[in-house]
Amino acid sequence: MTTRGATGSEIGSRRLVERLLRSQEGIVFLLALAAFVLFSATLPSFLSAGNLLVLIRSVSILGILALGMAVVVIARGIDVSMIAVMVVSVSWAFVITRAGYPFEVALLIGAGFALVAGIVIGALIAFGEVPPIFATLAAGSVIYGTGRTFFFTLEMQNVPPDTDWFRLIGQGNFLGIPVTIIAFGALCIVVQVVLSRTRFGWTIYAMGNNPQAARVTGLPTRPMIVAQYAISAFIAYLAGLILASSAAAINARLFNSTMIYDILLVVVLGGIGLNGGHGSVRNVILGTVFVGILLNGMTILNIDYTIQNLVKGVVLLLAIVADSLVNPRDEQTSQQGDL
Amino acid sequence: MRLGLFGKALCAAAALALGLSLAHAQDKGLENPRSTTFHTALKGKKVVFVPLSMGFDLTEGWAAQMRKQADRLGYDFEIRDPAWSTDAGTKAIQSLISEKPDLMVIHNPDIQSYARLLKQAQAAGIKIVQINLESNTTTDSYVGADWTEIGRKAAEAIVERCGAGKGISTKVAIDTGVPTAASDVFQLHGIYEVLDAHPEIQVVSQQATEYNPEKARSIMATVLQQHDDLCGAIGIWDNQDTGTASAIKEAGKSDQVFLVTSGGGNQVGCENVKNGLFNLYISYNVPLQGDLLNQEIVRLLMSDATAGEIQTMYFNPLTLITPENVNQRNCWTLDDLK
Amino acid sequence: MASSEALTRFRYRYLSGRLVGEILSKSWIDSAIPVAVLAVVLVAMSVLVPGIFTTGYVSDLSRQLAEFGLLALALTIVVMSGGIDLSIGSTFALCVLASLIGMNVLGLPFGVSLATALGTGIICGTLNGLLIGYLRLRAFITTLVTLVIYRALYDIVFPRLASAIVGNTPDSPLWDYLGFGDFYGIPISFLVFAAIALVIHITLSRLRPGWHLRAVGGARKSAYNAGINVKRTVCLAYVASGVLSAIAAFLFSARLGSTGADTGIGLEISVLTAVVLGGVSLGGGRGSVGNAIIGAILVLILTNGLIRMSTPGSVNQLVLGLILIFAVLFDAKWVKNRGKILSKVYVSPTYLALPPREDRDLATFALNDRLSEVETIGLGVVEGPEDVVLDADDNLYTGTRHGTIVRFLAPDYRRSEVFARIGGHPLGLAFDKQGDLLTCVGGMGVYRVSPNGAVSLVTDETNRSWLSVIDDSRLRLPDDLDIAPDGRIFFSEATIRYEMADWVTDALEGRGNGRLICHDPRTGQTRTVLRGLIFPNGITMCRDGQSLLFAETWACRISRYWFDGPKKGTHEVFISNLPGYPDNINRGSKGTYWVALLGLRTSTFDLAMRKPGFRRRMAHRIAADEWLFPNVNRGCIVHISETGEVLDVLWDRDGKNHPSITSTCEHKGYLYLGGVSNNRIGRVKLPDADPEWTAQRDYWGQG
Repeated sequence: MTTRGATGSEIGSRRLVERLLRSQEGIVFLLALAAFVLFSATLPSFLSAGNLLVLIRSVSILGILALGMAVVVIARGIDVSMIAVMVVSVSWAFVITRAGYPFEVALLIGAGFALVAGIVIGALIAFGEVPPIFATLAAGSVIYGTGRTFFFTLEMQNVPPDTDWFRLIGQGNFLGIPVTIIAFGALCIVVQVVLSRTRFGWTIYAMGNNPQAARVTGLPTRPMIVAQYAISAFIAYLAGLILASSAAAINARLFNSTMIYDILLVVVLGGIGLNGGHGSVRNVILGTVFVGILLNGMTILNIDYTIQNLVKGVVLLLAIVADSLVNPRDEQTSQQGDL
Repeated sequence: MRLGLFGKALCAAAALALGLSLAHAQDKGLENPRSTTFHTALKGKKVVFVPLSMGFDLTEGWAAQMRKQADRLGYDFEIRDPAWSTDAGTKAIQSLISEKPDLMVIHNPDIQSYARLLKQAQAAGIKIVQINLESNTTTDSYVGADWTEIGRKAAEAIVERCGAGKGISTKVAIDTGVPTAASDVFQLHGIYEVLDAHPEIQVVSQQATEYNPEKARSIMATVLQQHDDLCGAIGIWDNQDTGTASAIKEAGKSDQVFLVTSGGGNQVGCENVKNGLFNLYISYNVPLQGDLLNQEIVRLLMSDATAGEIQTMYFNPLTLITPENVNQRNCWTLDDLK
Repeated sequence: MASSEALTRFRYRYLSGRLVGEILSKSWIDSAIPVAVLAVVLVAMSVLVPGIFTTGYVSDLSRQLAEFGLLALALTIVVMSGGIDLSIGSTFALCVLASLIGMNVLGLPFGVSLATALGTGIICGTLNGLLIGYLRLRAFITTLVTLVIYRALYDIVFPRLASAIVGNTPDSPLWDYLGFGDFYGIPISFLVFAAIALVIHITLSRLRPGWHLRAVGGARKSAYNAGINVKRTVCLAYVASGVLSAIAAFLFSARLGSTGADTGIGLEISVLTAVVLGGVSLGGGRGSVGNAIIGAILVLILTNGLIRMSTPGSVNQLVLGLILIFAVLFDAKWVKNRGKILSKVYVSPTYLALPPREDRDLATFALNDRLSEVETIGLGVVEGPEDVVLDADDNLYTGTRHGTIVRFLAPDYRRSEVFARIGGHPLGLAFDKQGDLLTCVGGMGVYRVSPNGAVSLVTDETNRSWLSVIDDSRLRLPDDLDIAPDGRIFFSEATIRYEMADWVTDALEGRGNGRLICHDPRTGQTRTVLRGLIFPNGITMCRDGQSLLFAETWACRISRYWFDGPKKGTHEVFISNLPGYPDNINRGSKGTYWVALLGLRTSTFDLAMRKPGFRRRMAHRIAADEWLFPNVNRGCIVHISETGEVLDVLWDRDGKNHPSITSTCEHKGYLYLGGVSNNRIGRVKLPDADPEWTAQRDYWGQG
């Protein structure tokens, strides 16, 4: 027995590696570990507390948005309107404040708008039976257009003056850790609890795994869909507040950027497949951390910003290829028109 | 007939009375034919503004002033808003060429995209004023900043601050906007004119932000991580450089990095100078540009010359705004202009 | 009461409402809606923006359409294959860059630059194709990733070469010609687009690659099982998309001469809007070049019109987003509900008043049991022997619902064999002078079977009537036929609105949907001779050689039509107010006729036929298998004279063998019975019939 003990743990760890290699999540985890080790060894400024904090902080907003996206994706949906909801609701809150309303009230109004937007999108998908990709794509356009036409004229909205407490969210530190990271951590815990310990969360998994079966067994799929999109819109609003606070302004033109693809990158890289049914907050954290390590490492390596985008794209491509090899598309529950 | 003494006195009295009565009428002055022409010649004409996009300080400011003059002088002023899309802008101009307004005010997204179209428009008899961002085609008039001059001034300020032995290092970052726009191409030329004469200055990063402050912020954050002894930064527009400034501030290096930017001089930019986010702000003074634009519009609309026959340009003077001279005169708000 | 009935009759004669159902059932209805929307938008635009449609403007628009239309075609091809291509904008940008690098920066000749652009497009498309076709990745996320990658490539290369691109102008007259030359006023780029669109249309609709594409997109597993190389088809769809994007990019660079940082951003959304608006289904398998073009024109006119109206850019985005939502919403709901709506709306009943049944009929049509001693032939061997006929050798022929004609051999009719296989459901049968068996095959047409069993087509189409929405040039339900002395074949088509499978629904309508058609073998021409008949069914020649009798089933009457002679072209009622629904009529001995009544009238159904509103509500509100139907389960045989008097009525009182009969054939003293829902043929002895009489001799003399 004792002689086998040493080899036993060896076998154990080899089996662990094999098991990890079998899932995409595992592959990404190993890659992240490898990248971390590589960068720590070769780049002098990588493994310092300051740098690691910067790393997490730079992607925590992305991580928060990815949490919202993850909730929707696990239920076999997708939400590409998050950026539009984010910028329009936050910009509107700022415009209302400058028009004379108290800042807190304006923030509530912004939150209300985000929720309403999410509910309308969810209703379109649930009751109008519009495929989520088109509904959210078009809704993003509509929300952005509405915002620019009716709510505010200037695209760039600075944080209103005399709101110092707000500034703390994005730029403050608590016990040495930036508040942004704390917010991300808190939201992670909340979402994980909801997904794993409440009936709401279990329904989400059921809907993602086999929507027809979920409907047939009596789960309230349609109200659930509305709820999911409302949640993702609200999370987008929160992310927008943190973003505005850290940059001291919110720019509506973010809508035209490729930020939404970065969110998808985090979600898919982390291991949440787009056909839904599986995934958890752990995947989001993994994806966020991996993207953070990647970006940070590339920055320290002095790689040009545009080349970083290319690397991000190629990494995402490799991730989805790996995902499809490891989790081949289930022909039984996939349907015609399942893009 | 011979008038007696009495008759002469009567005549004189009558003349006096007449003269007095005539003198009662006020001196009503003379009609000024130039004033009449000025106020009536432009009635019914049509001016169309094709900006880069509405929704930011420069174009809103110019538009407000142009609209005021249009109301005052009775001509029609319209805006075709492409919302940052070059394609939509080309479509707008093409459709305008068939609509034939009297004058177009064009704000070019880059120096080539509209070049052919402007030639066509001039050939079709439409007069064109280009505002602030030029194209390769010279038209009836240009009003706006001299980007090369801005570039030179920005680089000179940097050299002063970051030349050999003057600053923490000689590293400089440049963030450009849209590589093919006049503000980039010509400004870069001016910057490098100066920097080439000072070879010790090291440009560690030159990336395009496409006028997006979030992108500018990410780029600057990355650069600061790569070179934490950065001495100076040149940004080509204040709207995007709020992002650059906020990255510098987040890294706590506001005192170390000397940020030069340029813009229309609006209140928000001035606030940012006052609170230390921008160290030098080169303003091309939107209200002044608006007035010049208005003057060019009137001149061209009243002129009998055909479109493109006579070409003029005016590069307006720049104001260098530093924390010391931020004042009411140098800064403006949109409400002031409306 | 009388006036309200007259009103009802009047209303249903002129405002039948059947057009809605017929239009909805057309196959082009999917495309009709986008065309209608396009028409509305064109009208709205010309009202809101006066002077919008000038020649110069239309010329500009056609140049834009050339590029945008090619992109719409590219996306259509991909969507039809069941996928989607979000990277189309980035591919476009890369190809623009490639063209401009070729022309402006490197100064390459026109052809080489074109090749560079096409090559770039092919590479981009092939990457997508390999990933989605061969590695079976999901189209959406894959093209999203390639969008990011291609965009990043563009962002890397473009700023470095920007000054070189805008600083140089190429020296190529062909380039300028492509960019803004025109040919008699039509821009060259538009001509290029039109040519390509035509080629693609032909490929998609008439050539094998197009069919493969549709098959793969519409039903992937079935396509795979049918042997189509699914992976290769999908891959080639993306390659084609890449090529078309490259051509569009080349035209774009020729027109503008430069490119910007925002080239191609957001293009995928507007192209997707165009494709969906045009009517291409997102599920795959359905779509055409026409759809792509209509959608492209719609989006272009909308965006241009909105810009022209000086609306702020954000309003344009708002409007386009709303339109996309409505288009997809409509597409989803329409595809789901079209079948449902159609089945409800298609049935359009009309007013049909049958004369009330008379008391004298009660006596004449008293129930008896004359058919109780019937012999059965082919019990369980045949299914659906609608008509029976015997040849000169006494062999019995009948059609079955399996599409065959079965022959029972004389004299005992115990042995049977399949005489001919045709398909459909052979209904009416008749022998012509040469001994060929002519048959009306329900669902197919009129066919001829020679004595050795060789099948040939006589006719399956007739002349199309101008005013009919339904394409009535095809024969749907030819029912019975008979042959005139000069060889002309007269046959009835029971209804043009229903197929063989739901012929009974025609009863609910009570509308004159049927017609009488004549085919002349000497000239090969087929013409419709009588229209608007209410389910014309049995036909038989009268002995004067100039007229024929035909039955109108739901009208419960038999009429006589003259096709020759002084009364040619006229028709008059022969017998009306029958107590049941007449089916086939055939000649009998001694100058008589036999009529089979396939079912009996009921007061309920007769009343329902006078209440078309009731029947319409019924069709809308209740499921089809709960509808009120005429009684076609219980019938009888009527023997009538030359002048229309009822001589005899034969019933099967207990309903054991032949409760419902659709045709009879008298042959040498026996009467043979057939029924469309029976599984046997009956043979009953006629005691006072001529034992040597055969139909053959009656028609053609000997032989």
